[in-house]
Amino acid sequence: MEMSKKYWKGIDELKQTPEFIKHKEQEFVNQQTVEEFLADENLAESSTARRDFLKFLGFSVAAATLAACEAPVTKVVPYGVKPENVTPGMPTWYASTYYDGSSYASIMVKTREGRPIFIKGNKDFGFTKGGTNPQIIASVLGLYDSARLAHPLAKGQKASWSTVDAGIAAAIAGAKKVTLLSNTIISPSLKRAISQMASNMNGEGGVKFEHIQYDAISYAAMREANLLNFGSRIIPSYDFSKAKTIVSIGADFLSTWLLPTEFAVQYGSRRNPEADWMSKHYHFESVLTVTGSNADARGMIKPSEEADVLNYMIKRMNGEAATAGSWKDVAERAISALKVSKGESIVVAGSNNIGIQQLANQLNNLLGAYGTTLDLNNTIELHQSEDAKTQTLASNVAAGNGPDVLIMMGVNPVYSLPNGAAFAKGLSKIGTTIAISGFEDETASLCTYVCPEHHQLENWADYRAKTNEYAIGQPTIRPLHNTSSALESLLVWNGTAQRGGADSAVAYDYIKATFAAMNPSGDFNYLTHNSCTTLDIESNALAFSAAPIKQLPKSADTEVVFYQKSAIGNGQFANNPWLQEMPDPVTKVTWDNYITMNPVEMEGTYATTYDQEHGLNLATVSVNGKSLTLPVYPLPGQAPKTIGIALGYGRGANGEKIGKAAFQTKEYGGHAKTEDGKLTPIGANVFGLVSTGATFLYSAAAKITPTEGTYPIAATQIHHTVMGRDSIVRETTLSIFKNHDKDAFNEGHKLQKLDKHGEHVEAPVSEFDLWAAHPVEKIGHRWGISIDLSSCIGCGSCLIACQSENNVPVVGKDEVRRGREMHWLRIDRYFASDEEAAVGVKKDKENFNYDNAEKAALNPSVVHMPLMCHHCNHAPCETVCPVAATTHSNEGLNQMTYNRCIGTRYCANNCPYKVRRFNWFNYPSYKKFTEINPAQDDLGRMVLNPDVTVRTRGVMEKCSLCVQRIQATKLVAKKEARTVNDGDLTTACSDACPTEAIVVGDWNDLKSMIREKSESTRAYQALEEVGVKPNVWYQVKVRNEENAVLEHIKVSAHQQH
Amino acid sequence: MEISNIQLLKRFKSFAFAVFIFNFTVFSNFALAQGEGLFKAKCATCHMPHKNSTGPKLFGVRAKWADGGAKDGSIYQWVNNWQTAAANDPYAAEVSKWSPTAMSAFPDLKKEDIDAILDWVDAQPDPAMATDTNGGGNTVGSISAADDQESNSWIWIIMGVIFVVVILAVGGVRRQLRLATEQDESEKMTYGEELRALAWKYRLQVGLVSLVVVISLFVGLFQTLYSINVMEGYQPSQPIAFPHSQHAGINGIDCKYCHNTVTKSKSASIPSVNVCMNCHKQIDGEGKPFANEIKKIYAAAGWDKAAMAYNGKTNPIVWNKVHNLPDHVYFNHSQHVVVGGIDCKQCHGDMTQMQETAMVQPVEELNKIEGNIKLTRKTLTMGWCIECHSKKDVAIGTGKNAYYDEIHRRLKKDPKLYAQYLNNDGKITVNELGGWECAKCHY
Repeated sequence: MEMSKKYWKGIDELKQTPEFIKHKEQEFVNQQTVEEFLADENLAESSTARRDFLKFLGFSVAAATLAACEAPVTKVVPYGVKPENVTPGMPTWYASTYYDGSSYASIMVKTREGRPIFIKGNKDFGFTKGGTNPQIIASVLGLYDSARLAHPLAKGQKASWSTVDAGIAAAIAGAKKVTLLSNTIISPSLKRAISQMASNMNGEGGVKFEHIQYDAISYAAMREANLLNFGSRIIPSYDFSKAKTIVSIGADFLSTWLLPTEFAVQYGSRRNPEADWMSKHYHFESVLTVTGSNADARGMIKPSEEADVLNYMIKRMNGEAATAGSWKDVAERAISALKVSKGESIVVAGSNNIGIQQLANQLNNLLGAYGTTLDLNNTIELHQSEDAKTQTLASNVAAGNGPDVLIMMGVNPVYSLPNGAAFAKGLSKIGTTIAISGFEDETASLCTYVCPEHHQLENWADYRAKTNEYAIGQPTIRPLHNTSSALESLLVWNGTAQRGGADSAVAYDYIKATFAAMNPSGDFNYLTHNSCTTLDIESNALAFSAAPIKQLPKSADTEVVFYQKSAIGNGQFANNPWLQEMPDPVTKVTWDNYITMNPVEMEGTYATTYDQEHGLNLATVSVNGKSLTLPVYPLPGQAPKTIGIALGYGRGANGEKIGKAAFQTKEYGGHAKTEDGKLTPIGANVFGLVSTGATFLYSAAAKITPTEGTYPIAATQIHHTVMGRDSIVRETTLSIFKNHDKDAFNEGHKLQKLDKHGEHVEAPVSEFDLWAAHPVEKIGHRWGISIDLSSCIGCGSCLIACQSENNVPVVGKDEVRRGREMHWLRIDRYFASDEEAAVGVKKDKENFNYDNAEKAALNPSVVHMPLMCHHCNHAPCETVCPVAATTHSNEGLNQMTYNRCIGTRYCANNCPYKVRRFNWFNYPSYKKFTEINPAQDDLGRMVLNPDVTVRTRGVMEKCSLCVQRIQATKLVAKKEARTVNDGDLTTACSDACPTEAIVVGDWNDLKSMIREKSESTRAYQALEEVGVKPNVWYQVKVRNEENAVLEHIKVSAHQQH
Repeated sequence: MEISNIQLLKRFKSFAFAVFIFNFTVFSNFALAQGEGLFKAKCATCHMPHKNSTGPKLFGVRAKWADGGAKDGSIYQWVNNWQTAAANDPYAAEVSKWSPTAMSAFPDLKKEDIDAILDWVDAQPDPAMATDTNGGGNTVGSISAADDQESNSWIWIIMGVIFVVVILAVGGVRRQLRLATEQDESEKMTYGEELRALAWKYRLQVGLVSLVVVISLFVGLFQTLYSINVMEGYQPSQPIAFPHSQHAGINGIDCKYCHNTVTKSKSASIPSVNVCMNCHKQIDGEGKPFANEIKKIYAAAGWDKAAMAYNGKTNPIVWNKVHNLPDHVYFNHSQHVVVGGIDCKQCHGDMTQMQETAMVQPVEELNKIEGNIKLTRKTLTMGWCIECHSKKDVAIGTGKNAYYDEIHRRLKKDPKLYAQYLNNDGKITVNELGGWECAKCHY
């Protein structure tokens, strides 16, 4: 090769962007003259002149000196009468259940001195088996949101419960029609209360009361399709752990579809290549989702092609010929897999179109899935949305023909209805509108009465998410505000109970009675201990019968898909800064929604790269005559001629009091305001573009036109491929893994050395040592982590759990854009390029094209890689610290001592994994973070873990391997005079992982899981050749697919070698 | 230096307090002393001389029984075993209905013992009748160490300034006298010039002295800076003047009875009022000068003394924290008490002698206590912690704690390191097992 190697300063130079050419000659971009600098208005805001500064400096030095001479008096207030099960300084765990209208899980809540601070999945009880999602873990922060309603409202004014109750009772008594619009009720007690209400009102005088269930994200099509095929509006249970072949048509079942808390656990249990069998997962979708990124083979389709794929598969399974689109190859492979695994397959479809769900039923029936992987007897009770009834109600209300009294419970129709604006106007024409809501949100702010509801962690509740399980949600804290259980409110209005005040037992007694009626022999105390119990169910003898297929979606030139992000979901938690700042698992963008489009399609029209300085181009999307403008994000794997937009953004369009973090902030703090002085929501609300019909439809024909202007976006990862390097992520296929030795899929790095005879020989990296080894090999403990890239689905639960456990600050969009996010654990996502046979494997070493390798393939395979501090035994950070603030423990931990750190940042510079985070600001007090950082709020501060220091400005921080938990685990063992058992130690991330991809333990314990994992043939260490000897091992990602190119490179070529 | 002054002052105060307590426990002869001892050992849990508590008051009980028509000697039988007495004597049977709580049997008490007890009881004056002679005399004020230090150093500074002024003045007078006698105007120098000339003349001495002054100023500065936030001698005032000496010393209550989370949790925690009420339901200190302090407990617990019942309204007591560790230090009591087997005395001193509210004991005081590991650094500084960690040995491989046996087993796999650990001092210290590592206490 000739000497034509060229180096670029950045992507801009490579692409010769106009800005680059403009600034080419200038060494410093954005040169400002002194006049310009002084004229900067932002500077005027900080009115500190130099002399003032010196005065402040002098004063503060003197003040600090004086203040330091005397220790402040610290007060200590013991309990008056200490509750029996609370030991100050020790956590108390409660088993409870989480349900917010869409997510459901059995959970464990950690409380310290009576305040909940951490949530994890309950691995011992409940069908979710420890599965959670980021929203559930982050919900503990929602408890301490200072925007929560603290008292009832009547006509927007603070009111007492008695006033509100009297007003509502009078309104109901005088009404001709009362409608209760709620989210899906899975609480048997609430159902009992509502049916009592109905029987009270629907007496001889006719039908007065109506109850409609409405979810922002509807699954009505599944229930309607099952009504047609089985005669009952049910949703069967799915068991992905029994499915050898999984085919998903647009169902993001690992992150947002139906019951992901359960499905992710089931799915993860079958992604272990060492086990007897590993499931095969085929996925067809438009927007690259979390589930799609984990698929073994993925086909790109338009939403309208979902029916085509299903039809094609049905026909081919029946041995008929059929026509197919570009997805034919993947479909054929799926069909051959399905044929082998009859009775052990699952087909799921994500669409809310009845016809498509009918086709999915038909295919499942063909595959013998009913009775094997799908259980019609034990049904899922979640997602009961009645779309047709809701639409009728919405249009009636909009037209001014609403009921006399409208009670809205757990719903926010003004925000989430397609005709929300018209609905909002119609609300004013209704005599009495009542909202049972935690916040004065879009809907509640328009209601006559607002009855604030307890947060889940303050509430007694019962749930029946599946027919065979009864679960209890118990309070873990005394109500913080003058709020009430929704159940109590309904009972009071129904005249069957009196308000019980802060320590009300109304809901508790009612639930106890419900349980006693359902399960006469059941022990309620035992139930609250476990949080759930199994109920006997009868076989309902449903059988599949074919029915004419309902209308299928029409095809269009460009189609749009409205999808949910795993953090924000339907927008219910848009005010939760942890979730807003959680990078999307696939796009890695925080604090925004955007239009996703395949970068190949964007070439020439839109910018396909973006960084700190360069934003994304804007475009206007029109659907059904409505349009909105958003930035266009280049998402590899997006089906051509489709675009995607995330739902759940644009909350608080009129500046409703839904929480400080739900709105955009300015560079120097404070909320960004629009021209008319309103708060600016984050992202745009696309619920308005959702189509109506028999059901709500989350895809439609669309028109997209480029719009003038760019928009800065905050992404935590702006490079997307590993450029053919194999030292970070490693990937192979199941057949290579099963049939060949370690060198074919996990070849260790070798270096040259001189042998005894002075000959150059290759030797593994482990033989080379620059430093004397730390004495961690044998003595004491050596804590380590193993992360299985095969089972990691990239959901982000670990990231939020880490944030919750370790008091990680929220930094906001502006700081994320500067690359200053503080997450101790990040999840890197890598796409394969066309130059690679799999992520990190060059197709052709000789003619590797670095240009193309930078770009992700049209439909790339994806690897998710959680990355935290590697606790290197030869840590490069430790050797460069001038003050020994980061040192090594003889337990293998890389310790960070904040009080010693002087903030040189040499360590971060020297870290090969880039996992160290610098505290650029005093996040718990600087005004820039007032709106977003919960630690700046008296109430929000209660979520902080008292065992972990809140770091201040100017110090480095990083993953400590949850050293507070290590210390606690060891102490328990010492006090019980026993050894630390394998599995005693869990870190926040390993606790949260639904697929058990993260294993932690004592590597010096020869029988431990971590030891076994570190010695498996799949184990490798990232950047092993650097020789830092980390205590973190990764397991090679194994894809259950056929990859002839990879096989050729790794096996055939290797053998020739 | 200053600190020992304060200590002296404190000791004087303690002495005064002890004399004060003494006034209340006057006894005249040996028999009474024996009676008092037996009463406190056997009866005081349930009985009081002048007040009903769990059992009835005992003042004049013999006369009461005799007046009531009890059989002779029946009262002694009652003490030995009340059931026998109740069976034999109708009066005793009547007395047994006084309370549903049955009295314990004391078969080992002889007639003389019982008489000694009751003699002592009858000799006790009724506090309700007694006038309050010394009320409010024991409120505990705290002397601020900083105040004392300051006043002392000010005296030194003022004296120093006066001294310098005197020297300069004398020098000035001397100069004026000399100028007056000398006629030569040309050699006339100002006072400053003269001083400079003098300094130049003795430059070696002046230089050396200045060096010493500068160095001592620096040393002083650093010592001052290092002593910032040193908590030794810190004794904040408390809402209730709680004498540990009375509870842990005289009454011999185990520290862990009240500070009962010390074996379970990181914090020893100040006991909640319901723990106080276990004893103070009976002991109300009526008539004693500390009765007011006990009333504060009742107010906090919501205890209605007249009705002998709780009213359900509790007001937690706001104490001032004595042993303050900064937020960035993690200290676990149970680790040290349960696993390390460290006595409370090691860090908190001998609380049985602590007649006032708790204070952070200076390390010299701690070192005086028998069995304590002797340390040199100031109490509650990091140096103090890690000094102990390098002295305290870990019982390893003893078969008593399987955790440490396993650590020992692993350690022995590296004989060189093991020998190195042992060679220094023949023991394996906390430090050698990682007790000096940052992340053991800072996270």
